[in-house]
Amino acid sequence: MPLVDTESAFTSSNEGDNWVAVSPKLVTARRLVLAVGLLPFTTVVIIVLLWLGAAPTIPIIAAAAATVIFIWAWWLIGRRVRSYAYCERGDDLLVSSGILFRRLVIVPYGRMQLVDVKAGPIDRAFGVTTVQLHTAAATTDAAIPGLEPNIAADLRDRLARKGETRSAGL
Amino acid sequence: MNDHTCSSPADPPQTAPASRSSIGDDLGLGLAVPGSRLIDADGHRKVHPISPVIYAVAVFPAIAGIAFAAGIQRISSLAEGIGGVPGLSFVSPIVAVILAFALIALFLSVLVAAFQYLEWRAFSFWFDDDGDFRVQSGVLLRQQRRVQVSRIQAVDVTQPFAARLFSMAVVVIEVAGQDDSRVRLKYLTLADAREIRREVLARSAGLASNTAEAPQDEVARVPAGRLALSLVMRVTTAALLLITIVIIVVSYLTGGWEAIGVALLTGGVPLLIVLSEFVRYYGFTVAQSPDGLRLRYGLLRTESRTVPPGRVQAIEYVEPLLWRRKAWARVLVTIAGVGTESSGANNGRSDTVLIPVASVEQAHDIVARVLPSLDTASLTWVAAPIRAKRRSPIQWRNLAVGWDERSFAIRRGRVTRRLAVVPHARTQSVRWTQGPWERMFDLASMHVDTTPGPVSVSGLHLDAAVSRDIAKHQADAARRGRQIDNSIHWAAS
Repeated sequence: MPLVDTESAFTSSNEGDNWVAVSPKLVTARRLVLAVGLLPFTTVVIIVLLWLGAAPTIPIIAAAAATVIFIWAWWLIGRRVRSYAYCERGDDLLVSSGILFRRLVIVPYGRMQLVDVKAGPIDRAFGVTTVQLHTAAATTDAAIPGLEPNIAADLRDRLARKGETRSAGL
Repeated sequence: MNDHTCSSPADPPQTAPASRSSIGDDLGLGLAVPGSRLIDADGHRKVHPISPVIYAVAVFPAIAGIAFAAGIQRISSLAEGIGGVPGLSFVSPIVAVILAFALIALFLSVLVAAFQYLEWRAFSFWFDDDGDFRVQSGVLLRQQRRVQVSRIQAVDVTQPFAARLFSMAVVVIEVAGQDDSRVRLKYLTLADAREIRREVLARSAGLASNTAEAPQDEVARVPAGRLALSLVMRVTTAALLLITIVIIVVSYLTGGWEAIGVALLTGGVPLLIVLSEFVRYYGFTVAQSPDGLRLRYGLLRTESRTVPPGRVQAIEYVEPLLWRRKAWARVLVTIAGVGTESSGANNGRSDTVLIPVASVEQAHDIVARVLPSLDTASLTWVAAPIRAKRRSPIQWRNLAVGWDERSFAIRRGRVTRRLAVVPHARTQSVRWTQGPWERMFDLASMHVDTTPGPVSVSGLHLDAAVSRDIAKHQADAARRGRQIDNSIHWAAS
């Protein structure tokens, strides 16, 4: 398994915990979104500043700030994507994510109400999809982004099957 | 208002296990209409034919209010105009204008009644061949709703003010679901409403539809004085009222009344909240019946709710600072599908209170009736480490998580202490989170997710590694809990 961030995997020993990382393609997709979002925004801001007749130092500072944010976000995206990992255990699914705000979600198969597979246009272009789990609790919020479409479909089917055999009432 | 007992706050809690409960007693305000068992051509039942009139009565004050608000500024010019009309000279022009507004409001109310009459004709309900409950409605957009009786969370009888004028009631059937999935049958005579509730509850509990209505024993009743006192003694309310008194006293002593506007705000808002909760929870009664706890409350709008024990997802004891000397607690409850409605006048709060104020023993007794497996004494507690002080300097001393064979619990809050409990079998998922601030002190929080409701089960700022282990163990405990859980079939056991 490549790319598993050992920091966000389990610290305490656990036999059989088999963490799977998400596809590195997600890094490219997210970085593209970052570039597509930040570049035009910065350009517009600089043009407006020049148009308003600001001193030439101000647009330069703005451009420098945008560059710093860009590099920081570029680096953070890499780490964030590496922090995503999931682990199918006997009776539940673990999803781990986050760098600044770290989280681990444990969803028992019997509690899954539906499993969504979704992908936006950019995700589709890069061949990644998101698997989202829903339980009766609104706060569950377990999403695994950046899965290859066939892996995502397999995971969905597996989860649905496991959920069916273990399903329980509210 | 015929059966509310207003006791003084000094009265002991009135527990009268054998006394006849007043839940379901008629709170009618005079007009009584004979019952109706109308059945349409398909053999489906109808709500009472007086319903359109009740709708009209219910909207009349609002329409009249809008009419007056819109016309009040022009009232004198309108009066002048009317004053010129011959034949109206026997009334003063102002009275004539007010009468005209009242007539307009009346006319609009009649329109509402006419529209509701069409709705009434289209509305019917019945049990289908599978035993499921069906409701058909809609004049232009016909809609048929099928409610699986096994999915019914609760059946309640409420009496809005307009309905009480006619001794009528509304049956509200709660179904587990995300959106507005409750079914309302408006309006029925109280006897019919109770009959339908009995039938739906009997069917949802898997009993024959002609099972007699469950008997009920009164468990607790909140005296009006205690309710008022408890509402005033909540921390924020008490603090704001204290500030108001200080402002008024200082203003009086110094003779400068500049700050009195602030006093209106700090005093007015909490008083409004106290008043609205007092009106809502007035005469709160808890009674035990075999199909669950029956709650009834309300001064103007009377509500009656049934809390089936198997549908309780989580409960929480709330103890504000000033209640502790009196050993009082409020109990909140999360029931699947209840209190999640975002629209309408119901803001969800009234749906989620098991008892607004009770002595701690009384609260334990009531909770034991909906969560029989809970035993707070047998919980093993793990407290937050001392270094949690640096994350939460005030509440750190009370932060802890605890568990036993059947339940998981958390403690939090210092000024207002909270104890939340979720049975293992009701755990939806388990989360472990760590923010940057927590990470600095090697702390983390764990949360047990339940269906949406007022209770959030979050064990805050625990030791990072310990909480991670507890989270994983909780997932296992939840699985075992589901296997041994049989409370879904609570009526059969």
